[in-house]
This record gives sequence, structure tokens and C-alpha cells, in this order.
Amino acid sequence: MATSRTLAAAAVCAAVALGAVTGCSSSGGFGDSTARQDSGGNQSLTLLIATSGEAETAAVKAATAAWAGKTGNTVTVQIAGDINQQLGQAFAGGNPPDLFYVNSDQFANYAKGGSLYAYGDRIPDAADFSAQLRQAFSYDGKLTCLPKDSSTLGLAVNTAMWQQAGLTEADYPTTWQQLADDAGKLTRNGVTGLVTAPDYQRLGALMKEAGGWVTNPEQTAMTADSPANKQALEYVQTMLKAGSAKYVSEVDAGWGGEALGKGRAAMTIEGNWLKGAMAKDYPDVRYKVLPLPAGPAGQGTLAFSNCWGIAAKSRHQAAGVDLVKHLTSADQQLEFAKAFGVMPSRISALATYAEKYPESKAWVDGITHSQPPVTIPGFTKVLTQFNTDLQSLRTGDPATVLAALQRNGEQAIKNAE
Amino acid sequence: MPSESTVGAKRRRGLREGAWGWLFAGPMVLVLGLFLVLPIAMALWVSLLHWDGQSNPFSGHADFVGLDNYRRLFAEDGLDRTLFAVSMRNTLYYVLLTVPLQTVLALFLAVLVNQRMLRGRGVLRTVFYFPSITSSIAISTVFLFLFQGSGAVNRMLGWVGVKGPNWFADPRGVVWLVLGRFGVDQPAPTAGGPLGLSWSEWFAGPSVAMCTLILMAVWTTSGTFMLIFLAALQDIPRELEEAAALDGVNRRQLLCNVTLPALRPVLFLVLTLGLISTWQVFDQVYVMGKGAPGNTTLTPAYLSYSAGFDNADYGQGAAIAFVLLGLILLLTTLQRWVLRERGGRPRRGPRSLKGARRAAR
Amino acid sequence: MRHADREPGADEPVLGRFPRPLRVLGYTALLGFALLYLLPFLLQLANSFKTDPDATANPMALPPDGGTLTSYRRLFGPAEGVENIPFLRWLGNSMLVTALVTAGRVLFDSMAGYALARIRFPGRRLLFAFVLAVMAVPGVVLLIPKFLVLKSFGMFDTYSGMILPLLVDAAGIFIMKQFFESVPREIEEAARIDGAGTFRIFWSVVLPMSRPSLITLTVLSFQGSWNEFTHFLVSTQSSEHDTLTTGLGHFVSGGLGSGTQYPLKLAAALVSTLPVAVLFFCFQRHFVRGANSGSSKG
Repeated sequence: MATSRTLAAAAVCAAVALGAVTGCSSSGGFGDSTARQDSGGNQSLTLLIATSGEAETAAVKAATAAWAGKTGNTVTVQIAGDINQQLGQAFAGGNPPDLFYVNSDQFANYAKGGSLYAYGDRIPDAADFSAQLRQAFSYDGKLTCLPKDSSTLGLAVNTAMWQQAGLTEADYPTTWQQLADDAGKLTRNGVTGLVTAPDYQRLGALMKEAGGWVTNPEQTAMTADSPANKQALEYVQTMLKAGSAKYVSEVDAGWGGEALGKGRAAMTIEGNWLKGAMAKDYPDVRYKVLPLPAGPAGQGTLAFSNCWGIAAKSRHQAAGVDLVKHLTSADQQLEFAKAFGVMPSRISALATYAEKYPESKAWVDGITHSQPPVTIPGFTKVLTQFNTDLQSLRTGDPATVLAALQRNGEQAIKNAE
Repeated sequence: MPSESTVGAKRRRGLREGAWGWLFAGPMVLVLGLFLVLPIAMALWVSLLHWDGQSNPFSGHADFVGLDNYRRLFAEDGLDRTLFAVSMRNTLYYVLLTVPLQTVLALFLAVLVNQRMLRGRGVLRTVFYFPSITSSIAISTVFLFLFQGSGAVNRMLGWVGVKGPNWFADPRGVVWLVLGRFGVDQPAPTAGGPLGLSWSEWFAGPSVAMCTLILMAVWTTSGTFMLIFLAALQDIPRELEEAAALDGVNRRQLLCNVTLPALRPVLFLVLTLGLISTWQVFDQVYVMGKGAPGNTTLTPAYLSYSAGFDNADYGQGAAIAFVLLGLILLLTTLQRWVLRERGGRPRRGPRSLKGARRAAR
Repeated sequence: MRHADREPGADEPVLGRFPRPLRVLGYTALLGFALLYLLPFLLQLANSFKTDPDATANPMALPPDGGTLTSYRRLFGPAEGVENIPFLRWLGNSMLVTALVTAGRVLFDSMAGYALARIRFPGRRLLFAFVLAVMAVPGVVLLIPKFLVLKSFGMFDTYSGMILPLLVDAAGIFIMKQFFESVPREIEEAARIDGAGTFRIFWSVVLPMSRPSLITLTVLSFQGSWNEFTHFLVSTQSSEHDTLTTGLGHFVSGGLGSGTQYPLKLAAALVSTLPVAVLFFCFQRHFVRGANSGSSKG
């Protein structure tokens, strides 16, 4: 008797405490209801960004502060260490920031999970954004979020080293063969000819130039194991084996710009974010940006963008859209371009940009023959694995790497349906 | 014959004590129940779902897939199984190298520090133990710095004419690295081993990057185990050693025939504690590269986390966690069984307390 | 090192001293090992006073010109750069969480330990078996489970979600139970005859006697919650809840492009180690006792 009574008492205690714990904070929890919307001024928004450096952080903070001053709202800018992980956790936790950068890799995952508020229909002049980027950030045929900026890859060359190696402007590589030759000549005294990150986001440009890519244009089938892709990886492998190309981690750098800036690399493949970082971290290093040398199937590069995502669970969606309009206005995009070198995603602003910054010509020109990113739900880990395999490309077998990508991708496409 | 009233009083007292007992243990029951038992039950359910973290997994709409998450780990050829196999391989080598190394080093340090004529024993003990109490995140940061390609460790190796590898960027397995010296190259991964990973990959050994994690684990944990050995060493009855000395044994015989046998139960304890803790490595992996280079520092614990939080496949993540839990519970059972069999759980009598106190002095 | 006031023979080796060459060898080995254990910390200290390029170029050298305080200024004050890491926020969160968790553990662990050791109540043996079982569950398999439960309770990304689950730990209960079992029963019986109730006995008689064990528990709880990483990783999301461990973890493992910034990272790691280090040097014997209590977990 005593036992059962005390047990019952304990159970009641536990139940009461559990109720108290859950009851007092029922705002969170699992629930599929849509968020109640706030309106009017004096709203407080959070914005989560993955920054490329202090220049970008400062520029975003200044832009949001200007908007906040105009509307009477407040905006808190948070910097993510690993934005994919933080956003994933935040969506599952039901407590996401109001606004955030969405990586094109992750876009489809978030859209499929219903985490994003699709506000494309509330942007009257959406047609001013490049069609490729609008395509990349549409889900189920609806434009979901606006491209923040646009980027392509180019070949950055350290001009001082170029001269020291006895090369002239006439030697700037326009073909794969020339690129390999130049890299060989530039490799000496602790300098590596070509240093790049071991990512498909860099080496994929060569796949495109060989006439291949990871998927077909409609993103409905894998084309990873094509001979064109194999040719591209074999080309990279030859240079890695010869020592005229190296991955960034092999020269103690975090990315291509650092390798270029520290004088460990004579050439690197990077996008236009390079400009801001070089100006800030290595202002004394002279370099020139060239179009990527053409491959067997002509010129090619990759296009990237993030978009300004607004959370489906945000309570400030209207204010969020207003802030996005401000951040993606032509003036503001040119402001960002000035601050940290990104290219506008608006076609109208891009023209102004090209006039203003002739040194970025190679990147601007790249847009015409660029490959947009893969956006298939559940594809992130497939591409992460591909990057992992690319790390050991020097000793690995390109055909095996691509076969694994093909197989993993096919599974992901099957699961996505 | 006790009267009615005394029986009643006793009963009332027993009741009151029972209530006090549950009241005292109440917070414990509540916290452990709500934040340990309940989560495990919930995760067990989620491991049977396909859940992307967006809806309520405890409603009728949950996408129940049965044992599919487990099947994908063991039976279905694909990326999930490959990653799981790679993480198991990595951790297996991590355990196989870390546990013996840290145990031997801890024992060695304990025997040295236990020398009764040694000057500065206390200082040395402090020095060896200090790494154990610091945060794994802070230590990982320091090791990342030390083991850079042109970092302090490689500078020091350079002084003795060794060209150090680029530690954290080197995915090559040490087995093939060593065999490569003798002209044996890693065969192309064709022949299939267990879990869809080729034999040549299973036998690659830990990667160079993993070796730094192993070094760090040995460096940080040997101090703790040294203390356990030290307490046990000081528990050895002095009469035993004196009797042996009277028999005219030499130093080595004393060590091998008296000291080490007396340490046997503690040795088992240290080995099993090491086995259990090394399978759980997570913090270091998170800080030092999240599986990079080439997935060679991926561990099941980290894979479980990243399957959930990176790839929004919480069912898969929970399934990996339960496989790991099963493995660790198996090891714990083994430990408790072995230590009971040997009668060797270090007895918590006055003796062991004295040892601990002396070790603490 | 012989002192006349020492108990004769206690510190004498059983077999005379080692021969001189062996002794020299032994000392050399010990010194070598000691250096190996100290060097990482010394290098950390030295490099935290350097500039970024200098730490990359000369990791083994002493900081030139007496070093620079840039890293520490960036941690503690409004430095010139805009991208300040919110170190003071991390520090504040760590202190808050550690204080509450330590207080909770000391109280609840000793209460539970006392109940398990001394109070006769139905279900006690079952509870003890439960505690033993709980000790066998490793923390890392609880990552997703803990996230699920905090999420269901609406406690994800809140201070209560960070603190409540840590308020009790099975190992601490175990330590306190061991201790209370060694307290002579007669003392409690005497108090009971004087009319004291169970709570009075626990609070006014037993607890004051348990000072050493309570200090051990405090020290271990402090260290445990100060160094806790995985729980905060899965219980929080926004940067305002970052502690020293999660903040530093995000920072160190974080994005490329922002350069390596090792001096700053090393300085942050150093400052976050200091409180535990100070505690360690003051209460070393309690840490040692904690390590050895690990040996009786079995």
C-alpha cells in the first residue's frame, strides 16, 4: 500500500513538473501552425549571414542599419560559423532567424521541407534578376527567394611572379594545354603554379569546359560518369601528380585567395569575392583576373549565388520582404559590390558594375557561359562526398570517383521523388 | 507481543520515511527521467521514421519506415552505408591505437612518479595531469595550431631532419604509407569487404590526420589513468614488497612478480574505461575538421550528429546513435563482468581511500 | 629529502637507491615527458601575443618586441575591427550556466545520494540500479534524443534548456552515496532521538560533516559544466546562447575565407582554460579524488 501510494505521489509530482516545464514555454514545441504576423514599426528582426570577412559584415550591418533607421524597426545581424548546420538546427528547432543567406546547395532542402516563405510574387520587378539565378531559386515553379548577388569563377594570376618566371601577357593561358605549361613554369622556390580548393565548386568548371556536368540541364538524371567529366578530372590529376597544381590545404591556406595572398600560389581559381578579400588582407599583392582557359568544349565557368531567405515561421514576413527589397535594390547591390567585390544579381546593376570595375571583366563575362548550381533536395551530402573524393584525386582514380558520384546521385534523385 | 499502537507508529514512521526518500530522490528521478530516459524513448521512435525535422514526429502524419534506417546502414549499398563503414573503420583504428598507448604511457608515468626518492613528485604529477582537466575544445584549438603544415611540430621535426607531413590535410592511411616505402602501392579499391568498403580501405590504417587525434587523446587522457594507477600502486601493501626484498629479488623481478600482478584489476579497469570512452570521440572531430580530410576522421558519433543536423535526416542519425549505444553498452557489460569475475573491482575500503589520499598529496 | 620528523621508512624505497646512471636516465626521461606535457601550453601562451603573420612564420619563437596585446584587446574590448567575436557574451553565459549547474548538482546529487545511502524507502534498490544504468549511457549518443526532447518541451534555444538537463549527474550521486555510507549511523540516531526529522538530520547534521566530499563534488561539477560542449551544441542555436565552448568551437571550426587568426583563437582558448586551471591548482586533491572515483564506477 505504502509503495503504491508513494509511487503515485511521485508520479503526480513528475506530471505536474512536466506540465509546468512544457506549459510555461509552449511557444516552441512541435507545431505546424503558421506563425502569427507582427505588423507596424518597431519590429525586431534577426539576420543570419555567413560572412566572407569583416568587409562583408560591416557592409551588411550598415545596409540593415540604414533600413532600420528609415522604418523604425531593429535588425540584429548574426554571424554564422557554419551556416548550414546552424540553419538546419534552427529550422528543426522551430526558432529560425527571420532572414538569412541560403546557400544554393541547401536551397532545395529547405524549400522542400517548407522552411522558406516564398515571396517571389511580391517582388514586382523580379524579371530584372538574371534568369539563370531565378531558375536556381525557384521551387515547384515558384520564385522562392531573391538572389543576393552573382558570382562566377575566374583565373587569378600573381603578376609579379608571372614576370619573374619570364612570362609575358601574351602567355596568359587560353587553353588547358597553356594552363598546364604555365603552371609548370611558375612552380619553383616554394611557389606552386596553380593552387585551388579541392571542391567541385572549383574543379566543376573544368567539367563544364570539357562538355560535362554532374546532372543533365533539367536536373532529372545524373551524367556524372560521362567521358567528358573523366577527361576533366584526369587533366587535373596530371597537374596534381606533376606538382604544378596543389590543393589549398597542402600549402597551409584555407582558400585560394589566402594561397595567392601569402605568395604560395602563382595562380588560383576563385570567384569575385576574391577582390574584397585581397584588398583587405593582402593589399600589396598585384594580381590580374583572366577568364578560365577554354577546354575541349569551349569556355565555361560556374555561377553561384546565395539568396535572401525568409523563414516560413518568421513573424515579420512583411517587414522581411521590405528589407530584402532594400538589400537587393540596384543602389544597394552596387554598394555591396564596392564594399566586398560581389557582383550584382540585377541585370541593370550588372551593366553599371561592368563599367565601373573593368578589372572584374573576366567575372562579368563569365556569366554568359556559366553553369548554375545543382539544386536537388538531399543532394548536399552527395556533393559533400564528391568533394571528399576529390581531396584524394591525386592518388585516386577519376573513373571511380565519378562512378561513386553517379551512384550516390542516382539514389538521391530516386529518394527525392 | 507489540501493541496495536506501536505497529501503527512504526508503520506511520515507515510511510513518512518513504515519502522523504522519494522527495530526496525526486529531483534526480525527474531530471534523469525527463532528460535521459524520455529522450532515448523518443529517439528510438524517431529512428523508425523518415523525419526531416520540419513536422511533428509524434503525430499521425509521421512517415513510419520500420527498420529502414538501420537497413540502410548495414544492408543497402549506398552512400549511407559507405559513410557508416568508413566511420567505423576510422574509430576502430582510433581505439586500437589510443587505448594501448594511453594505458602503457599512464602506467609508465605512474611507476616513475611513484619512485619514493624522486624529487618534485607533486609538481610532475600536476604537470602530467593538467591536460586532462582542460576543455577538449580549447585543447583541440591548440593542437590545430601546433600541427599545421608549417607549424611548431613540423619545425621541431625539421630540426632533426625529418620532413613532417601536412597533418590535418593528409588523408593517406599510414599502413599504405609505410608499405609504399617498400614499393607496395595501395591496390585499387575493387574487391568488396564488409559493409561495401573494399578490403584495401579497411586495412588502410588510420590516416595521418587521425594520428594527430590519437596523439591528442593519448596526451590528454594518460594523466587521469596515471592517477588511477598511482592510487593502486600506493595501495600495494608495503609488507609485500619488503618480504620480496628480503627474499633477495632484484628490481625487475620485484616489478614483474609483485607490483604488476597487484595492478592487474586496475589494469583491466583502465583498459575497459579507455575502450568505452574512445568509442565516443566527438568534440575533437567537430573542431578539427568535421571528418575531413577525405572522411578519415569521421566517427560514428559525429556521423550521427551530421546526419541529423546537416542533412536533416534525423531518423538516420538516431539509428546510428542506437548502434553506437548498443556497442558501448556491450563494452560496459563486458567491463562489469570481467571486473566481477576477477574479483578485482578495486575495493573501496579504507585502503583505497588511503591510496587516493596519498596520491592526492 | 629525508626529514627526521617523517615516519621512519615510509618514504624509503624497498630496495636501495637506483645506481647513478639509471637515476640520471630516469630524471632525463621524466624531464623530457614533463616538457612534452607543458610545451603545448607554453606555445599557446607565446603565440597568443603575436600578430597573425608572425605566428604563422615563427611559431616556435618568443613574441618579438615583447609581444602585442591585439588578440586580448579583441577579446575584451571594442577593438578597431568590426568583426569582434562576442567573447564577453560567451564568458558571461559560461559563468551563468556553470554557477547554476554547480549549485544544482551539489544540492540534488547530495540529496539523492543521501536517499540512496540512508533513507529506507520502497523502490530504493530499483533507483540505485537505475543510477548505475544511467552512468553507462554515453553522452554522445544523446545528441539527437536531447534535441528532440528539448524541442518537444519548447525549451530548445533557451537558458532553461541549457541548464535543467545538467542539474543532476549520476556520477555525482554515486560519489555522495559512497560518502554517506561511510558516515557512522550512530550520529544520525542520536539526532533522531533528539527529535530531529529526516530533513533536519540531513541538513544540519550530515551535510556539515561532508565538507570534503561536497568540495570534491563542487569542483567536479564546475569543471564538468564549464567544459561541457555537446549538450550546449544541441540545446542552442542562436549566438546569444553561445558559451565559451560552443562559441570557440564554432569560431575555430567555422567558415573559410576569414583567414586563420590563430593568435586570437589561442588567446580565446587560453582565457577559457584559466578558471578551471586556477581551480585545479587550488583544489588539486579534489580533482585527484574525482579521477579515482572514476575507478569505482564499476
